[in-house]
Amino acid sequence: MAAAMKFAKSHEWARPEESGLVTVGISAYAVEALTDLVFMQLPEVGRHVKAGESLGEIESVKAVSDVYAPVSGEVVEVNTALPGALETLGRDPYGSGWLVRLRPADAADMAALLDQPAYDALVKSQPH
Amino acid sequence: MTLHVWWDEPADGPCNMAADELLAAEAFDRGTICMRIYGWQPVTVSLGGFQRGVEARAEQSIAGVAIVRRPSGGGAIVHGSDLTYAAAVPKTHPWGGRPQLLYDALHETMRQSLGAFGVEAALWRPAETVVAPAAGDRFFCFDRRSSGDLVVGGPGAADDLGHKVMGSAQRRLAATVLQHGSLLVRRNLDVAPAASHPGLDDLIGGGFPAAAVRPLVTAWIAAVAGALGTEVVEESGRFQDEQLVREKAREFASERWTWRR
Repeated sequence: MAAAMKFAKSHEWARPEESGLVTVGISAYAVEALTDLVFMQLPEVGRHVKAGESLGEIESVKAVSDVYAPVSGEVVEVNTALPGALETLGRDPYGSGWLVRLRPADAADMAALLDQPAYDALVKSQPH
Repeated sequence: MTLHVWWDEPADGPCNMAADELLAAEAFDRGTICMRIYGWQPVTVSLGGFQRGVEARAEQSIAGVAIVRRPSGGGAIVHGSDLTYAAAVPKTHPWGGRPQLLYDALHETMRQSLGAFGVEAALWRPAETVVAPAAGDRFFCFDRRSSGDLVVGGPGAADDLGHKVMGSAQRRLAATVLQHGSLLVRRNLDVAPAASHPGLDDLIGGGFPAAAVRPLVTAWIAAVAGALGTEVVEESGRFQDEQLVREKAREFASERWTWRR
């Protein structure tokens, strides 16, 4: 896992790339908590989102959940293979299970996210 | 922390979905669990959040029946002979974490309540030897099985699957969880047999009279409160201002929402 990866309280991760883009996914905890995933809807390339806005939706056997943008920016790439291979999210949530790449609008957004220890503490505090 | 409950008059699909969305906001504002118990007028099929519209249009057994799309997941439900509830909790609530928490909590308390009315039900759990109907390949909720569904035995029930009499599904919002659920009281005779699943009245020897439904739900709400160690506050009047609900219902009545997939 890249050292620079950070997390939103809503369980998305964001990883700055050397290209300046930010790769976004959802955490292993969120994937496991949702159980069997059956459908995912991702945004179109070119869409502008603000941090905290819905970026897409994911459906499991029991629940539909929004996926929120951890940072503001423009969607420049979408993992189009993912909705057809949702098992990838369980196998490799921080790698091939990425959702989108954003061109960030404000570098300060990353600073507002949780680092790994803080996110781990958040997960431990969740009702079981 | 208290449990707030509203008993609402039957309404159409868009108004019910709008009221439930407002219920989620209410739970956040109050910081506690809020529930709405309600019926449907007219008979309505609610689709799961991402069920394909083309499948609904092709399902002849519900031809001509009103359709609304829920924000929650799961399969299609024919409403009209069921008891529907919505429960909303903040994500910080003890039942606001993993989806199975709220699902099991409300189904287990209903199981206990049914027991007090002489109905033996169980929470269905998948066994390794049982191949459950896959989550997404059955159109109707009551043809599917997922862990925690409430089932009873009875004629025609496959031993390992039982007859599903209560199922629920959630919409997980930013700060709250909204759970929809349906307890099937009796077969719905307004739809063709393929869409008409047996309910308590059809499955229980001696039947389950309509007059027993409200006492059952009252016992269930008390059991939910008991499980939380809290008190029930039965709110008077309908939940939310009718005009506000009707304004919000426009979105749920729109073609864009109903046929979003």
